[in-house]
Amino acid sequence: MSTPRLTKYSPLHLIEKTTMIKRAAFGVIVLMFVLVQAGNAQGTDNIQAYFNDTAIKVKAIENPVQKRELLDQSLQDMSTALARVESFGLISNDDRADLDRFKAILQEYQDELAGRNGFERVPDTQLNAFADYVVQDMQQADKTISISLVAALLIVIIIILIV
Amino acid sequence: MSRSQNRNNTGATQPFERHFTRIGCAALVFLLFSCSSLNPTQQEIPAGEASAFLPRYSIIFIIHGDGAYLFYDPDGHAHRADEEALGGAIRVAERNPQAEVFIFHERPRRHAFLFFPLRDGKFYYYRGGQLLARESYRRNQGSSRFDPEARLYDRFRTAGQPRPKRFFLYFGHEIPEFDGRGYDASYSHRTFTVRDLADGLELTTRDTTKFDLIVLSTCFNGTPHTIDTLAPYARTIIASPDNLHRSYFDLQPFERLDVGLQNGDTAVFARAFARQAFDRLSEDIQTTITVAVYDVERVQGFLHTVEGAYDHTLTTLKEQSPGFFEHYDCAEDTAYALPNMSEGVDVFYQPPRFGRLRHKENHSGWECWKLPKKSLSKQQL
Repeated sequence: MSTPRLTKYSPLHLIEKTTMIKRAAFGVIVLMFVLVQAGNAQGTDNIQAYFNDTAIKVKAIENPVQKRELLDQSLQDMSTALARVESFGLISNDDRADLDRFKAILQEYQDELAGRNGFERVPDTQLNAFADYVVQDMQQADKTISISLVAALLIVIIIILIV
Repeated sequence: MSRSQNRNNTGATQPFERHFTRIGCAALVFLLFSCSSLNPTQQEIPAGEASAFLPRYSIIFIIHGDGAYLFYDPDGHAHRADEEALGGAIRVAERNPQAEVFIFHERPRRHAFLFFPLRDGKFYYYRGGQLLARESYRRNQGSSRFDPEARLYDRFRTAGQPRPKRFFLYFGHEIPEFDGRGYDASYSHRTFTVRDLADGLELTTRDTTKFDLIVLSTCFNGTPHTIDTLAPYARTIIASPDNLHRSYFDLQPFERLDVGLQNGDTAVFARAFARQAFDRLSEDIQTTITVAVYDVERVQGFLHTVEGAYDHTLTTLKEQSPGFFEHYDCAEDTAYALPNMSEGVDVFYQPPRFGRLRHKENHSGWECWKLPKKSLSKQQL
């Protein structure tokens, strides 16, 4: 009886290849599940970390003009990311409402920084405190702006691409 | 590659696969058995000691950690609010030689190997400053939310006379007054409201009198409804009507109750605790700080007067739930701005350093819901 040849299309080769594909597919599924689990906790945490990083950088700068510019640019980058996420069409109406609210809050921060829309301009001597205010206010807004995992991860990804 | 080599390689992998499968199965069986065992830390309490120790103080901490509790301090360091609160509670437990302390830490549910749910509650029992028990438990057991905690409390509490001073402290996000879905990130279909908290307190006060002091280290629970709902279970309540930063209330005054509560006047202690909590928050927090102390007996008149108005608001909001609803100071509403509004309430208030409310000079100590308008402009959001 002749020995089966292990050619590219032989039954033995196909069996081995199928097993490898199954293993790879299982591994991908497991990896996605783990990433989603991790993302569930880290989506909004990363958004908070973004504002915290801004506050750290602001406090490290001496020049108040640069402080103000950095704060404003950071807020604008986040607003831009929110607008892009909304434009994707991948998020729910509830998320869209929450993102609108988020953008409105960011706009108020920028208005106060610049002294627009009925706000007194943040004095140069209070820019560090204002940076802390944004971080702390965002932590509280985090509880009322409950965006989905998908939206949060999209925001994080776009921010990374922008910055 | 020759045909004989291919045949040998294929055959050589089979014993390895069998060996690997056996190891995997053994690990799985071990995991299942380890998950099913309690493995508590518990010391045997000699019968004589158990009856000899009658605590002067009994403290229950419930620390909610199943949610977004990350915060950053002014130096930019990340903290988890529930872990910080747990550390504070343990310090209180270790430094009070005349207290028994029950600490329940409600943690996110995790899974072993992605599929096997692990226990998501951690319980600590201290007596006389010593850790006598540490157990993991499942939070979703029983018909009501706090059944697992109540069972542990009943197992370990010291019964006897004289009755100790009793304290209850809750740490977490705002406890909802309606709906309550999604409070636990791990249990999206479970609900948790102020009513559930009251039912849990009922379980721990069945054969005893009220708590001398309840502390709600949460946002927005200094409301007529919350205080009224918890009133049957407490003489004094401390809560924050407005936002409360995730660094919570400082627990240092609880660390030596035999010193801080020497004269036994809980109301004076409560005020001192609130004052210290406010002062600590004022050092670093740029957002609103409001800490209110409610004398439950003295606020009854105001609560009865406004009950109808507040219930109407809650009914309206339930019909529109889910949605985004804002809070505001009840003093801004003529239905609540009554002559007896401040009776029985001590308020420590600091407006935010920035934002639209930075010029708000005071707070009534009572937070209300703003009924939504049909359309909101961007500035009104």
